[in-house]
Amino acid sequence: MASESVLEISGLSKTYGAGKKQTLALNRLDLSVHRGEIFGYLGPNGAGKTTTIRLLLDLIRPSSGSARIFGLDTRADSVEIHRRIGFLPGELSLWEGRTGEQIIHYVASVRGDTRGIAKHAGELAEQLDLDTSKRVRDLSSGNKRKLGLVIAMMHSPELLILDEPTGGLDPLVQQTFHDMMDDYRAKGRTVFLSSHVLSEVQAICDRVGILRDGELKAVESVEKITNVEFNWVDVTFRDAVPAGLQRQLESLPTITNISTNGTRVRMRMVGDFDPLLRAISSGYVEMLHVEEPSLEEIFLAFYSGDEEKTK
Amino acid sequence: MIGAVFLETLKTTWKQMVYWGIGLSAMGLLVVIMVPLFNMQDMQKLLASFPPVILAMIGVGQDLEIFATNEGFVAIGFFGKSALIFAVYPVVMGMRITANDEDKGTMDVLLSLPVERARVVIERFLAYGVSCIGVVILIYLGLHIGVLLGGVELDVLRLAEVTFYLIPLMVFIMAATMLVAVFVRRRTVALGIVTAFVIVSYMLQTIGLAAEGTVAEPIGAVSFLTYYNAGDILAQGFIWPHIAGFVILSGVLLLASLYRYERRDIGL
Repeated sequence: MASESVLEISGLSKTYGAGKKQTLALNRLDLSVHRGEIFGYLGPNGAGKTTTIRLLLDLIRPSSGSARIFGLDTRADSVEIHRRIGFLPGELSLWEGRTGEQIIHYVASVRGDTRGIAKHAGELAEQLDLDTSKRVRDLSSGNKRKLGLVIAMMHSPELLILDEPTGGLDPLVQQTFHDMMDDYRAKGRTVFLSSHVLSEVQAICDRVGILRDGELKAVESVEKITNVEFNWVDVTFRDAVPAGLQRQLESLPTITNISTNGTRVRMRMVGDFDPLLRAISSGYVEMLHVEEPSLEEIFLAFYSGDEEKTK
Repeated sequence: MIGAVFLETLKTTWKQMVYWGIGLSAMGLLVVIMVPLFNMQDMQKLLASFPPVILAMIGVGQDLEIFATNEGFVAIGFFGKSALIFAVYPVVMGMRITANDEDKGTMDVLLSLPVERARVVIERFLAYGVSCIGVVILIYLGLHIGVLLGGVELDVLRLAEVTFYLIPLMVFIMAATMLVAVFVRRRTVALGIVTAFVIVSYMLQTIGLAAEGTVAEPIGAVSFLTYYNAGDILAQGFIWPHIAGFVILSGVLLLASLYRYERRDIGL
């Protein structure tokens, strides 16, 4: 049943404002997410990711189109859908004067099962190293995010909808989160995860949808997206840039866009590091800095690659 | 679970209810224990010397006899003067039904749970309604303690009627606030509109009372505050048509809020 759709979006559009101030936030989105997969919804800020998620949760109403989750209409059957999903908003706000425990108890009581849910919430809090006895106003942004994750996951939902889930989490907790997602997938549950961080999506997702200016540009496997990936590499030499290095780098097919500034050389690199390391070994390398491309750059690279293939 | 939002709302509100209740009841207690310090006949003469507009501002019309009693003194000193103060608590609670949570973003979390929008609104409306009743009970307790402490001769039943008449008034103000917040969405804008509504109502009531017996008198009928007149309640007891009016209007405002809230985007 790997191809069974948990989430189906058809022609979904959302326009904000009216008249001259009208903005098209989402334009005729068609998308399907299968049971048991972790789907990454990738796009720069303002691309329409949060709008999509808020439409799925029936917090805002579509201008046209529809969406179904578990085969149920997101507008007509929102309560039944909400019973079976967990949600973490991108900009999480919780009741500041209440403790984590009180909020967990409140959410569990709205869900109608205080005992079972609260027990699982305790396990999740332990896993995330979260102290739930503190008031929300006394929690750091990272700990608030952890509490949000506990609330989203404590009833073991069939579908998790997470908007920028790891923002504010330290690297160790991010790793714990990735492990939790792997565990989710292993149990056959589904995750719909929005992010503007490529590495996060790469680490945990099976498929990726790329959204830009309210339009879905592509839905691909993570491997395919990764194939077009490149890095920006900065090499700083202690003394001077070795003579002939520029020519040597230009001869390497994996390196392009070379620029030199004093003792620093910057280049765009695809594939393995070995040819580069051999080339720069003639000088004393003080620092080597590898920078992940921006989402926009990945996006452009991905499409220029596609265009080349189709020529 | 049905009632979860109601219970949580009560849990997060009871302290404010107690603080407001204690504050208002302390004001009432002070007025009651001052009663023996005044000669009510002199009071009537003093009131008669005031221009109608000043009397109207403290909620007194031309029915001065009723205010020349101990109960009338409390009505002027506490219920008349404090009409605007009584409006503050229900406005604060009305803003909490939807506007505060939408502004903060916590409504997104709540409405992502298996709960209908209408249920959130109704359960919160009921819980804040209960908190208004709590405040009024505390006010009455303050007045009653004042009667016992000061050994003041007061018709406790009449005093109770004037006090508990506040409940439909406060619920109406809360419902009006909720409706405005549901329509305009932004908390600050809603607060401005509701404040203007209460102040304009107060001014219209004042004009109506000051212009008793003239062609301008009906202007006062437009103000909801006209239907909470401590002097009238002292003279007639509960005025059921007015109470029914407040209850029906509150129900209509609630239904209008539910209709609008069900159809609009959250938090934009």
